[in-house]
Amino acid sequence: MAEVIIFGLMALPALAGGVTVVLARNPVYGAMGLLGSMLALGVLYVAQLAHFIAAIHVVVYAGAVMTLFLFVIMLIGVDRADDQNERLPRQRQLVILGVLGIVATAFAVAFSGRFSWVIAATGERIPQATNGTTVALARVLFSDWVLAFEATALLLTIGSAGAIALASRRGKPVDLPIDPEVTS
Amino acid sequence: MALVDYLPFVVMLVLAAGFVAVSLVASRFARPSNPTPEKLAPYECGITSEVEPTQRFPVKFYLVAMLFVIFDVEIVFLFAWASIFNELAWYGIAAAGIFTLFVLETLVYVWKRGALDWNVKTRSRYAREHFRIEEAA
Amino acid sequence: MTFEIDYLALAPELVVAGTIIAALLLDLFLTRSKKYWVAVLSVVGVAGGLVPIVYMLAEGGTRSMFDGSYVVDEFALILKIVFLVSGYLVLLMSVSYIEADRYYQGEYYFLLLSSILGSLVMSSSRDLIVLFIGLELTTGPLFLLAGWRKGDAKSNEASLKFFILGVLSTAILLYGMSLLFGLTGSVEFTAIAAAIPDLVSEPALALSVLFLIVGFAFKASAVPFHFWAPDTYEGAPTPVAAYLSVNSKAAGFVAMLIVMYTALPGISEVWAPALWVLAALSMTVGNLSALRQGNIVRLLAYSSIAQAGFMLVPFAAAAVAGSDLAQAFSATVVYLVIYALMNLGAFAVVIAGARRTGSGDIDDWAGLGQKDPVLGLLTALFFLSLAGIPPLAGWYAKFVMFASVIEAGGISTLVLAAIAAVNSVIAFYYYARVIKAVWLDTPSEELLARPGREYAGSIKLTLAISMGLTIAIGIYPTFATYFGEASRVIATGGG
Repeated sequence: MAEVIIFGLMALPALAGGVTVVLARNPVYGAMGLLGSMLALGVLYVAQLAHFIAAIHVVVYAGAVMTLFLFVIMLIGVDRADDQNERLPRQRQLVILGVLGIVATAFAVAFSGRFSWVIAATGERIPQATNGTTVALARVLFSDWVLAFEATALLLTIGSAGAIALASRRGKPVDLPIDPEVTS
Repeated sequence: MALVDYLPFVVMLVLAAGFVAVSLVASRFARPSNPTPEKLAPYECGITSEVEPTQRFPVKFYLVAMLFVIFDVEIVFLFAWASIFNELAWYGIAAAGIFTLFVLETLVYVWKRGALDWNVKTRSRYAREHFRIEEAA
Repeated sequence: MTFEIDYLALAPELVVAGTIIAALLLDLFLTRSKKYWVAVLSVVGVAGGLVPIVYMLAEGGTRSMFDGSYVVDEFALILKIVFLVSGYLVLLMSVSYIEADRYYQGEYYFLLLSSILGSLVMSSSRDLIVLFIGLELTTGPLFLLAGWRKGDAKSNEASLKFFILGVLSTAILLYGMSLLFGLTGSVEFTAIAAAIPDLVSEPALALSVLFLIVGFAFKASAVPFHFWAPDTYEGAPTPVAAYLSVNSKAAGFVAMLIVMYTALPGISEVWAPALWVLAALSMTVGNLSALRQGNIVRLLAYSSIAQAGFMLVPFAAAAVAGSDLAQAFSATVVYLVIYALMNLGAFAVVIAGARRTGSGDIDDWAGLGQKDPVLGLLTALFFLSLAGIPPLAGWYAKFVMFASVIEAGGISTLVLAAIAAVNSVIAFYYYARVIKAVWLDTPSEELLARPGREYAGSIKLTLAISMGLTIAIGIYPTFATYFGEASRVIATGGG
């Protein structure tokens, strides 16, 4: 019962945040709506006992990724973002077609009598999370996947080297004779 | 972990929200209210700017944002380590040590390349020394 | 929890990882004129990674770690040799190219080494997570390297196209993996293989298998997921294009084979026809498009797409016919080894030829043989080998491929063999066109007037190594056969 109440309490703000993203005129409000939606989803993860996912969700998505979003919005300029009059050709018809398609799919799924097309793995194959999945996840992360764990650090180093290589200025080529590039 | 165990979080949340609300309401009544147009302006000091800033932003914003995301993701993995720190003992310290070595190397690299220098002059020192750039912006 | 780590089995990865850390740090403290030391360090590090591999091959046996998710068997060792040797050759051909450009040399080697490390990890992986990390480590740095010539709009285009399609393919791959995990409850290949028989009738399982194939086919640039390849190869620095066409293609390819063979043999009726179609389409579309190319790098790009099709043929044929997949593995690996050598040689020729002629247009290469006979001979050698003319290595690759198809038997495999045969003839036409331009066409005055500069020693070394091995394998194919035979020992992991 408590789970249903929490679901109701959190699903509503999550949905409201999503609607804000779509409808907000000011992109900063849109970003804030997304942030609220993410935080609400984080609570839902906790309700499912997925603590690690919840932590990642808040630290990485609500923290870092939202910062990036806001950076981009600020870089482009808040006031510039609202003059979007570009429309796809036949946009209206396409939207109607898309909505009809979704409704038809929903009906097809409902009448086929099978709501879940991806069945979950059978019980004995899944380790039961007893006391929060963070500990269970950390155990496998540091035993079976310790190599992947270290490789991830290298991936992040690659990311920062890439960011610097992209953002820094290149020097003037020196006066050595330069290879002609192989482009016509 | 039953859902009841999260009650302290809820209490904490209510307390935090309540503190903010009480502070706001209290200051609303305690402070003198005497607004003037100058006080309501976004920038109270200095001269009114004549032109809007140009839309071309320095790329250093991008760099800082990217580096923030990267180091943020590294923290997530240390969170997993912290949850079984005692259980792993020295093995965990070794594994996380190698991980931290990469992080530290990233930091040294970023630092030496001048990506953390907000000041243009110092930021481009590396570029001047290594790529023969006379004037870097 | 198991904490035993077999350091000898990890030694190649550890050596390369150490080199990566050292390369990035070394670059920071070297002044401009001494940057080439980073290249020296990288080349030595990659060669050093070969030592423990040779030792383990001599010792034999299979080493399994981390609950069977990381397996070092002969198959993995052979692939590691392929990745390291081709990485070594690409590093060699990069030295003069990158130095002449004087542009971020340290990061260049750091990224290239990281990519090599990724392919080493990938070839030992026996579970989805390690496989995914290895594959991402292989392709991630290449998004950046493809755009390394920042001032050039074509290079920007190359990087952007590669990145967007690469990320899309990664998303599809992950989707497939998560479906597979949701259905079987495990990420380890042996456990997945064990769970498959109960799930064969699940439509979601077929969907996840197809998603996996799409993801891998993007990385291997097989038709119809090849659209990024020609533009990316053309815009990327030429050594990076060489790396893309050999290492990163092989990585996607090998990942696909490992997953299909060790995790999904129980559902081959889904993926075998898909691979058959991929192979037939890649050969045909790649070759027909190559016919129309005027730029030599684009020609090699389409040729490498077609070669990927040839490489898929043995595996697809054996899977469709339901015959022994191990035989197909050995044929594919032999093809991969030989293709890596001759294609890297061809790209080294392109770098040297572009320096000599100042152009990447095949028409501008007219009469290069008169201007520079040695380079002309090498051009003929590598392109004839790619076409599969004896006594060069390429013929043996084709021979093994056809032999394994005939062995598999069955109508659909014979159709595939016929498609491959027709395509070999088409391929000969455009490879021969380059040789004709170099030897039979009259050189332009502009070309004759160009000053003949000495090549860098590293390019000469690249050409010498790939030429020597291409001729040696062509004459003594048993050498390559050893690679094929050894690679049959693919352990499925498991505890």
